[in-house]
Amino acid sequence: MSGWMAIPRDWLASLGEIARFSGRVMGLVYSGRVFHFFGEALRQAGILILGSAMVIWGLTFILGLQCGIEGAYFSRSVGAPSNAGTFAAWCDLREVIPYAFGYMMAAKVGTGIVAEIGAMRISDEVDALEVMGVNPMIFLCATRLLAAWITLPFIYLVGIGVGFIASYLAVVEQVGEVSAGGYFLIFWMFQNPPDLIFSVIKGMAMATVIVLVGCYYGYTASGGPVGVGTATAKSMVLNIVLVHIIGMMGTLVFWGANPRAPVGG
Amino acid sequence: MMILTGKTIVSAARPPYPYGGEFISQFLFALQLCWFPMMISTIAFGFGAPGLQAANFLSLFGALDRLGGFFILASVREFAPFVTAVVVAGVAGTAITADLGARKIREELDALQVLGVDPIKNLVVPRFLALMLITGLMDIYAVLFGISGGIFAEIAYGQPLGGFIATLFTNASVTDLWGSVLKCTMFGAVIAVVSCYYGMNASGGAEGVGRAVNVGVVVAFLGVFAFNYVFTQTLLATHPEISVIK
Repeated sequence: MSGWMAIPRDWLASLGEIARFSGRVMGLVYSGRVFHFFGEALRQAGILILGSAMVIWGLTFILGLQCGIEGAYFSRSVGAPSNAGTFAAWCDLREVIPYAFGYMMAAKVGTGIVAEIGAMRISDEVDALEVMGVNPMIFLCATRLLAAWITLPFIYLVGIGVGFIASYLAVVEQVGEVSAGGYFLIFWMFQNPPDLIFSVIKGMAMATVIVLVGCYYGYTASGGPVGVGTATAKSMVLNIVLVHIIGMMGTLVFWGANPRAPVGG
Repeated sequence: MMILTGKTIVSAARPPYPYGGEFISQFLFALQLCWFPMMISTIAFGFGAPGLQAANFLSLFGALDRLGGFFILASVREFAPFVTAVVVAGVAGTAITADLGARKIREELDALQVLGVDPIKNLVVPRFLALMLITGLMDIYAVLFGISGGIFAEIAYGQPLGGFIATLFTNASVTDLWGSVLKCTMFGAVIAVVSCYYGMNASGGAEGVGRAVNVGVVVAFLGVFAFNYVFTQTLLATHPEISVIK
């Protein structure tokens, strides 16, 4: 039975190691050494697209619906049902889609990486790689980070599109208090390209952190099959909290001082 | 999974009740795991999403004191249950899957069955009940910390807090609160059943347990959010009085 302070103490202890590990992996990607294994990176990218994209879009769809109905009921309650687009635009683009993406990334990709690399570590495959003269850090971790950077911006952009469609369905087709034209007028008025870029930056920051944390916990797994399960569970805890912190910091930095809304002078 | 749910509910209701001690230790275990991630997550979420973003919008109209009313919609009705479910699924759910998966791999579950101990009654039922109870209670914890995140946002905009608190309490309704707690309790049930199911069906050596945790948390998220959509929709449509701004 773990004590009350087990989780914070655990984080404090491993934070520095995670930072150092992440620095090394990022260094391997930036220095171009990862391109020795570009084929492996492409294979990982393919796995991401085939295995994770649909689930991520599924979650953004559900949360887009959620934004839509909350927006419709909220704007009805202030007596302006035609303004549901304001709520939906901000809710989708700025907050909820990055969070949905982060949650699903942590659940699907992050824990998947831990399970995979952890199993390799337990069955001594990582050591075998080293013996063969392949740097396992590059082959296992850096290729996954590169694959994430190649594919995830596009998966994220499609996710935003899916969320927008879901909000449209919820507000216009389901609740039905505003026409399609009226909804879209307000919806597009309350967002602009910089917002989209900020949102993508937020999502990519989450994705990078999740992949790195997953690699760290997988790479340092120990203690047999049970250890892999425990490491997977631990990585999920840290990832959830980091996703929330990145979401908050992103909002604070990008929209904290400037609402970027077409209201007033 | 449906079969597991049915069996769990039946064996929770039917005497004898040998799971008291396990229930308490699971409850404490989940509480010890969740309290810290939950606090950070809800403050961050409350400060960022509904806090800053809505305060931005309201400050354009010079109506920052209305943020309190918005927090009833944002925090109590939507984000507190949502963040609670994510944290409980990510923290306690994964721990349960890893725990049961490890027992399955070590063939402890089979050993229990040989000894004549029903694993559903002794392992799944206490986890199911503990997770239901703790998710419902954690919801109130999340509401408190979510609203304190909103208070931080209000302070960041240099507003006196009187307006915030006043609109918060005039807009608060009992329906919202019980809706939120009930929703969270159901989330807890979904998470517990999914985590136990994937833990008890883990197979395949070292990768099996990790894989089970992976699939379990993905399914738990999708289940929770799909349920959330249906529930919120029903609550809003059947109780129109809670969406009136006072």
